Amino acid sequence: MMTDSFAIRTRMRDPGLLAAPSVDPATVRVTFEYVAWATAWLLVGTTAGLTASIKLHWPEFLPYAWLSFGRVRPAHTNLVLFGWSSLALVGLALYVVSRTSRVPLWSPRLARIALWLWNLALLGGLVTLLAGVNRGPQEYREWVWPLAVVLAAAVVIDGYVAYRTVAARTLPEVYVSNWYILGGFCYLPILYVTSYLPFYQAGLGNTVVQGYYMHNAMGMWFTQLALGVSYYAIPRLLGRPVYSYALGVLGFWTNLLFYPLIGAHHFIFSPVPWWLQTTAILFSVGMMVPVWAGTGNLLLTFKGGSGAVRRSYALPFLVTGLIGYGLSSTQGTIEAFRSANIYWHFTNFTVGHSHAAMYGFIAFIAWGAVYGLVPRLTGREPNPLVVGVHFWLALVGVLTYVISISVAGVLQGFAWVAGQSFIVSVIEAEPMWLWRTIGGLLMVGSHVIFAANVWAMWPQRVVAPAPDAARIPA
Amino acid sequence: MSFGGLHTDHRAIVAAAIIVFFVLTLVMAVLPALREQALSAPAGLTPRGSEAERGRQIFMREGCGFCHTQFVRDLPMDRPYGRPSRAGDYALEDPPMLGTQRTGPDLAAVGSRQPSETWHLIHLYDPRAVVPQSVMPAYRWYFVEKDQAGPGDVVVPVPAGSAPSGKVIVAGPDAKALVRYLLSLQQAKVSP
Repeated sequence: MMTDSFAIRTRMRDPGLLAAPSVDPATVRVTFEYVAWATAWLLVGTTAGLTASIKLHWPEFLPYAWLSFGRVRPAHTNLVLFGWSSLALVGLALYVVSRTSRVPLWSPRLARIALWLWNLALLGGLVTLLAGVNRGPQEYREWVWPLAVVLAAAVVIDGYVAYRTVAARTLPEVYVSNWYILGGFCYLPILYVTSYLPFYQAGLGNTVVQGYYMHNAMGMWFTQLALGVSYYAIPRLLGRPVYSYALGVLGFWTNLLFYPLIGAHHFIFSPVPWWLQTTAILFSVGMMVPVWAGTGNLLLTFKGGSGAVRRSYALPFLVTGLIGYGLSSTQGTIEAFRSANIYWHFTNFTVGHSHAAMYGFIAFIAWGAVYGLVPRLTGREPNPLVVGVHFWLALVGVLTYVISISVAGVLQGFAWVAGQSFIVSVIEAEPMWLWRTIGGLLMVGSHVIFAANVWAMWPQRVVAPAPDAARIPA
Repeated sequence: MSFGGLHTDHRAIVAAAIIVFFVLTLVMAVLPALREQALSAPAGLTPRGSEAERGRQIFMREGCGFCHTQFVRDLPMDRPYGRPSRAGDYALEDPPMLGTQRTGPDLAAVGSRQPSETWHLIHLYDPRAVVPQSVMPAYRWYFVEKDQAGPGDVVVPVPAGSAPSGKVIVAGPDAKALVRYLLSLQQAKVSP
C-alpha cells in the first residue's frame, strides 16, 4: 500500500496531489461507478460494432435474426454513444464540477439514481433493438419513446446535480470547464425532447429534425462535456494554467451560435429547403473558429510541457484526443461542401468521419481523463506499461479503421460517379471492409485492456482510510 | 476582454445557453419542419394497403434503411434510381427513410425497377443466389423449409445449393408482406 502511493506521487510528479484537500468519498464512489459502467458498455457496444463489421465481408457470420446487421448496427451506435461516451464523460464531468467548485458533489445519491436510469435505458435499448423493436432507421433516436423518457430523466437529474454543485461553489468565478459542462446538460434535454416530439415530424419535417438532432448530439453534448473535462484535466495534469481563458469562452459562445445551424449538411442535394442546406454549409466553415480556438488553446497549454507528456501515461491520450478534435472537425467541414459531398455522401467516408470524431476525439479524451484523474481519486493506479499497450492498440486500431473505411468510401464514390453498376462499389470496398475489421479488432482488444486497467484502479473495498489520507505519509 | 458579469453568474450562463439554443432549435429545426410537413402529397400518391404497410414495419424492424436510401438526388449518378425526390414524395411516410448510407442501392423506385415478386423472394431468402457478390444479410427467418408445398403455399424457386436438398422453400407471411412493401416503392408521376 505505501509503496503504491509513493509510486503515484513520483510518477506524476504532481505537487498538487499532496496539497489537494481530500475528495469526499461519496463523490469518488459515484464518479468511479460511472466510469466502470461506461467501460462495461464500451465492451458490449464495440463487440456489437465488430460483429457488424465482420458481417460486411462475411455475410453468413452469425446468421441469426437478433444479430443481423440491421439490428446490431443501431445497438452498436446507441451503446457507444449513450453507454460508453456519455457515461464516461458524465462521471468525469461530475467530478470536475465538484473539484473546480471546491465543494463536494451536491447529492451523489441523486447522481447514482441517474446512473441506474441510464443503465435501465441502455439495457432496454439493447434488448429492444436486437429484438427489432425500434422507430425505424432514425439515427440515434431508434429507441422507443419510454426508453427515451428514462434517458432524458437521467440527463436532467445529472444536470441538476452539476448545476447545484456549481451554485454552491466557494469561488466567485465559474471556471470555463463548467460553462461547457452546464451547457451540455442544458442542450441535450432540449435537443432530445425536440427529436422525439411528433407535432412537426410528418413527412419531410421528420428529416429536417433528423439532421438537426443527429448532428447536434455530437457538438452540443459530447464535444461540450469532452472540452469541459479537458479544460480541467489538462491544466491539472500539467500543473499550469490553461493558455487562454478568453479563448475557452470564445469557443463556448461560437460553438453555441454556429453548431446548431449546420445539421442540414447531412441532407445536401435533398428536398430539404435549399436555404437550410446552404446555411449549413456556410456555418460548417464558421465552425473552424470554435474548433481551432479549442484545439489551439488546449494544445498551447502544453507548450514547453513535452517532458510531462513523456512521463505521464494519461497526457498522450489527451494530446491525441485534441488532435483528433481538430482534424475530424476540419474533415467534417470539407465534407459539407457540395463539390465534396458529390463524391463522399452516402459512402463509407461518413463512417470514417464519425469514428474519427467519436473515437479519435471523444474516446481518447475520456481515456486520458480517466487515467489522469481516477488514480487520484481511488489511490490506485494501473501498470503504466499496460496503459501504454492500451494507447498503442487503440491508436493503431483507429488509424487502420479510419484509413481503410475512408478509402472504401472514396472507391465507392468514384465507382458511382463513373456510372458503374452498383455492385462494383461493393466489390471495390470489400477488401477495405476486411481491413476495417482488423482495425476494429485492435480497438476492441484495447478496450479489454482498458477494462483491466479500470479494474486495477478500483477503489479499496475497505471503508477506511480515505484514499487521500492513505497517500499522505504520516 | 470582458464578458460582463457572466463569468461569476452561473444562473446567467445557464439562462443564456438555454435561451439561445432553444431559439436556434425553433428556427433551424421546428419551424422548417412545420413548413415541410404542411406540404401536400403529389396527386398520384396513395396510402399503402395493409399488407404493404405491415411490410414497411418489417423493413424498419430489420434496419434495412441503414444500408438502403430512399432518396434520389438530382445528380447524374442517381439517374438509375428514378427521378429526383421531391418533398411531397414523403408526405405520407412516417418516418420517411431518406437514409444517409448506400451500402446497398437506393430503393426509392425499386418497385418499378424490379417488379418481380419471385426475384425479391429469392433475394430475401439468399441474396447471393441472385447477386453473387452481394453482402446483404439473408432473411431466412421469414421463410419455412418444407418437405413438400401445401395448398396455397408460395414456393420460392431458389437455385440448387441455396436451400437444403430435398426441401422446398415457402415464403412466410412476413416475407410476402415485405415484398409487397418493396413493390409499393414507386415514385408518383409529377409534371416537370
